[in-house]
Order: sequence, then C-alpha cells, then structure tokens
Amino acid sequence: MSAWFALAWKSSSRRLAAAAGVGALVWLICAFATDQPELAKAAKPEAAPVTCATCHVGAASSYLHAPMRHALELPGANPVLEAHPNLTVQMGAYAYTVQTKDGKSTYTVTDGKDTMTLPIRWPFGQHSQTWVLEKDGNMYEGLVSYFHEIEGLGTTPGDNKLTPHNLTEAMGRKLDTTETNMCFNCHATNAVDGVKLTLDKLTPGLDCERCHAGSEQHRADAIHDNYTTVPKKLRTMDAEDAANFCGQCHRTWDTVVRNGWKGIIDVRFQPYRLENSKCFTGTDRRISCLACHDPHQQVNHDPASYDSKCMACHGEAKTSSAFPNIKTCPVATSKCTSCHMPKLELPGVHARFTDHMIRIVRAGDPYPF
Amino acid sequence: MSVAPISEAVTESVPYSKKQMSEARAANASSSGLLILLILVLPIMALLPAWPGRAFAQQPAPQFDDLAARAAAARDQGNLPLAIDLYTQAEQLKPDWVEGWFYLGQLQYSTDSYPAAINAFNHVLQLQPNAPPAMALRGLCEFETGAYDDALRDLEEAVQKGAANEPRNEQIIRFHYAQLLARASRFQGALLQYQFFATKNIDDPDLLLGLGLAGMRDPILPKDAPPEARDLLMAAGHAGYVFLSGDSQSADTLFNNLFARFPKGPGLHFFYGSLLSMHGPDLAIPQFQREVAVDPSNSVAHAILAYSLMFAGRFAEARPEAEASLAAAPDNGVALVALGRALAETGEPQRAAELLNQVLKTEPDNLEAHIGLAVVYARTGKREEAYRERMVCLGLEK
Repeated sequence: MSAWFALAWKSSSRRLAAAAGVGALVWLICAFATDQPELAKAAKPEAAPVTCATCHVGAASSYLHAPMRHALELPGANPVLEAHPNLTVQMGAYAYTVQTKDGKSTYTVTDGKDTMTLPIRWPFGQHSQTWVLEKDGNMYEGLVSYFHEIEGLGTTPGDNKLTPHNLTEAMGRKLDTTETNMCFNCHATNAVDGVKLTLDKLTPGLDCERCHAGSEQHRADAIHDNYTTVPKKLRTMDAEDAANFCGQCHRTWDTVVRNGWKGIIDVRFQPYRLENSKCFTGTDRRISCLACHDPHQQVNHDPASYDSKCMACHGEAKTSSAFPNIKTCPVATSKCTSCHMPKLELPGVHARFTDHMIRIVRAGDPYPF
Repeated sequence: MSVAPISEAVTESVPYSKKQMSEARAANASSSGLLILLILVLPIMALLPAWPGRAFAQQPAPQFDDLAARAAAARDQGNLPLAIDLYTQAEQLKPDWVEGWFYLGQLQYSTDSYPAAINAFNHVLQLQPNAPPAMALRGLCEFETGAYDDALRDLEEAVQKGAANEPRNEQIIRFHYAQLLARASRFQGALLQYQFFATKNIDDPDLLLGLGLAGMRDPILPKDAPPEARDLLMAAGHAGYVFLSGDSQSADTLFNNLFARFPKGPGLHFFYGSLLSMHGPDLAIPQFQREVAVDPSNSVAHAILAYSLMFAGRFAEARPEAEASLAAAPDNGVALVALGRALAETGEPQRAAELLNQVLKTEPDNLEAHIGLAVVYARTGKREEAYRERMVCLGLEK
C-alpha cells in the first residue's frame, strides 16, 4: 500500500468521499483491495443486507476466525461439543456425562441413585469450555468443564475447593446476578442491558458492537450516507486506556488489586500483569495491548513475531539518546518474549498462559505478586 | 496455659441473643436461690462434726491446689457464687494464675458482675496479652457497662485474632461487634457482620432492628432506637436480612414496598444501594442516585454515589457528585478520593494528585488514593512513579 494511500486511510471517510478527480478514482479502485471502509454507495450490493462487513471487509473477514468472535457458540454450531459427543468423568461420588446428539447437548450428573439432566444452552469458551446451566430460574456454572489440553472433562477452574452436598451442588455453582451478567457480557453481545440480562437479544460471541459501541447506529446512518456517527477509534487509545478497555473482560489492574487476587491464578489477567511491568507507560502506545495484538486476528504464537514490538523501545538506536533508561538485552536479539514473558502452567486449568508481566526472569524466582 | 481450654470453657455459658441471655440469667437466679438455701442450711450443718465444709473452714491457710480444685468443682456444679469466692481466694494466693482469672471473669460475666469481670480479664490479658477469648469477653463486659469504645476496640481485636472462629462464640461476638460498628458509623462493616446471621438463618427481632439501624445509617444501639421508628427499622432490617440471606428477588420486592410506603424516607435507598454494592457498583448506583434525589443535602450519599461511579469507571459523572459532597463536607475522604480519581481520568492530573496526596496525609494506606496516584502518573507518562505507586498498592493489599 502506498504512503499516500496509508494517509488516505487515516483521513475521515467523508473527506475521502468528497475528494474529487483522480484521488477518488484511485480510492475506489483500491478500496476493493483493502480492509478499509468502502463507502461508495454504488459498491454496495443492492440485494444483500448492509452489515459491518459490507464496508469493513478485511477486519470483518479476519475477525470471523478470531477467538473473541467464538467466545460463546451455541449448541448446534459448537465445534467442541460436535467433536466430542460423549464426554464422561467421575468426580468423587458423582459421575458426569455431556452428550451431544442432533445439535442438542445435555449435561447429566448422577450420584448413582438420583440423576439430574439439564440442556446445555450456553457453552462458554472456544477451546476449553464451561457451560452455564439454568435450573428453576437460576443460573449455574457447571462444576465440570471441557479442557482442550486433555480432551476431556475436569473440575471447572476456581471450583476445585467446592464439596457438593447434593445433586444440585454437584451439578454446578449457583451464580448471582452480577456474576451471570459478567459471564454473558464478556462472551456475548447484547446479552446485558444495564444490569438486566437480555438473553432474548443475545448474539453469541463478541460482535462488532460489543467493542465498537455505536457501530449499529453508524451502520444504520451509513446506509443513508450519514457518516457523522462513527464510533470511537480504538486504535488511538494509549496504553492505559487500552488496558482498561481490554480489562473490562480480561480484568483491569484496579479490579485485580481491589479484589486482592493473588498468585499464579492472576496470570490469566493480562492487562493487570502488563501494568505490573516496569516498562509499562500509560501514555505510550508501544506498550499497549493493541501494539502486539489485533483483536480481529487470531493470536500469533510465534515469539519472533513480537520482536519488533519489543525493539520499538529496546532497539539500540532508541536507547542511546532519546530513551537513556531503556536497556538492551545482553543475551539475545530475538524471541524476546520466550524469556521475558514466560509461559506458565496454571494448575487445574490444563493450559499454559503467557505471563504479560514483562521482566527479567531469573531461575528459581517466585512468581511475582 | 494454652488458650484453647479457655476458649472451650468460655463457650459453654455464652449466649448470642438477649433471649438466650435471659435464659442464662434465669440459671444464675437459680444459683442465687441455691446460695440462699446454703446460707440457711450451713449453720445447721456446722453442728455436724464430720461436714467437710467445716473442716475446710477450720484450716487456717488453705492450699492453692485445694482451692483451685474446689473452685473448679463448684463451677462444674453450677454453684457460681461459691466458685467465684473460691477462685478469688485462689488468686489471692497465686495472682499469676491465668486460668483462675479467666474463670473468675467468666463467672462474674455470667452473674452480670461486669466491672469485676473486666478486672479479672485485665489480669488475664496482662499475664497473657494474646488471649482472644479473654479479649472478647472483656469486650462484652465493657459493652454491658456502657464503655462502648473500649468494647469495640476489644471485640475488633478479638475478631481479628480469631475469637469468632469458634462456632459457639461466633454469634454473641458478631452481634455485639455489629452493633458497635454501627454505633461508630462503620455501617458497611456492620452489615458484613449481620450477613453472618442471615446466611445461617439465625433470626431474632434484635438482629433485625440492629440491621435496620446499620442499613439506615443510624449510629445508635438497638436498645436506644426510638419507639416510633422501630417499625420502619424492623421492616428495613427484615428486607436487608432477606437480601443478605441470598434471596435477592424477595428482598427487591420488600424494598420496593418500603419505597412505596416511605417515598421520602431518608436512608432507605442508601440501605438497598449499600447491599447491592456487594455485587458491584452498577446495581447500586441507581439506588444511590435516588437517595440523593430524596435528600440532596446528604453529603455522604453524594460521596458514596461518586465513589460507586468511580468504581464503575464513570468518572465524568463521579466528578459533580464528589464536588457536591465536598461542598458540604470538605474533608470527606471518600469524596476526595473519588474526585481525585475522576480528575485524573478527565484531564486534570495536577489537581488530582493534590487531592489524593491530601487523603494520604491522613490515611497513608488508602488503597484507592494510591491507585488514583498510579493513574495520575501513568496518564502523565511518569513511568517510574506509576510503577512505584503500583508496587505500593500491591504491598498494601498483602
């Protein structure tokens, strides 16, 4: 993409559309080859409904495969359940079975004498999965979950200290309103309105509107060539704002500290861990969540792919003058994250998490905080 | 002497409610009757040459071991006056006998001799400062003598040191502690103590009254509640009790009924908001907003609303509420923190830092003030200062 075109991207859509002559022609041609908004009315298919993807082709198509899009997938369209139609596990005195047939899934627990079977309506998670169940108007977090790493069932993270005294307790942990809202608000779109659960309006997974508040209005207005209601551009957020924004679900630093969450369990709370890094600077976009992660894309697991992000600050040229306190690594110049952001096993979760607290890791050091 | 036997011993005679206290007093009255009977009978018995009591009386210098054994026996038999007398004698012979002082205090507490009991527990705690059961019992005695500040100090320390961990002690300690917390205007702490009773389904009119007072932020003891306010307080306490027991739907109905009955009743929305805030600020904020609408001059309500809005990340809305609170009460720490954080997030870092540092002068360990300062530094690009404040916060929460 040319420098001119990159500049054109950054300018407002309206100004771009108003541009006449050659510029407009070039833009129209190039719009088909980019993932940027294509605003010419003539380019919109008349028959197809206008969606975010109509204009934001690139972002929308890559986001189809992004993890957040699949944070909740209903039975019938749930790859985990479809691929594992008969899951069983014995946990103490209780036996659990999760069965899927004809697009419908059930969660069964029995103590050998009595049996409780509930339909699975809300499977949370793309790889590993926890089911939120409904019984007598209450929501429960299933006491067993599916773990991708072991391809089987195990105790739901956080519930390992619970000792069920009856079949209902063995089925799941009762969720209060706030916790239920939090679950759905981070795994689905339009699931919560204020403090009310609105499951009838729910869209599984995180749709555009979930992060880009106002995008529905923008879509409706854009159909009528009104581009005055463009949602806030999130990529302009600084590191502090991005950590707080992503922390709505991944947990903010404030949230973790206020709740006194301690130990290895908080390795899952990436914004909190990142903000504990010595190099975290709230005003610097180079250390923001979005500097390394594009939420519209799948997570890149290649450590080398993040080197340029580290070198944006720790590159030799940068440290010499403008950033005198920033050090260069005496050990290596590539795969920085493999040492400075170690992957840690979270007990009971059957998964390894990247510790986002960027630091010099020394052998034998305890997990910090 | 270890603490454990004391703890076990004390629990046998400690009730949790006034009803149980009445029963205990009735038992004490029986003991008094027994004493009168003994006084009448003893002269007659004294004529009998082989009566052991006479033999004891004839000993010029009773031995400590003998006194201790007989005191324990009298205690076991429920002869409280005799036990008190024997323990007192034993302590005169051996003033560093911790167990004796403890039982003496316990017996005096059981017979409503609170000043004497406090004296006995003072001896226990001088000899063994880390004795939570003695501290708790002294606190209960101080409560009965009206030394409420002392009682709160003792019960608070006793609870922190685990005196309420023993199930048999827990109810009476928590009930008195809750009352004292509310009396000291530490209402949220009181609600947490009352929550214990609701979750255990322990119901009692005094508990409901106390819970109503704590929820409505009335810093008085239940016994001092004005008769004309008792209905409302009990009803509010009941709604709060239902909420704390986990039945939030029924509680919502009860509270809404109360709002309909007392549309201008100050404190009701605040109470419900305080309960809802246990589940996060979003649920609580509308109630605090209604409280402010009912009573716009309520600076505490403005401050708590500002604080809740700050927790919810609604900083722009928090700012005017905090300012409204501070206009009436310039030293309100909650409002200062809320305003400081709101300013930090809305582009006035310098004033924010001033306010937050003002809070830290009087409350150096105020977590929210330190969090706010970390934000101020983060938002002004002061990386090292922000890191330092974050580490302070992590140290504080430990």
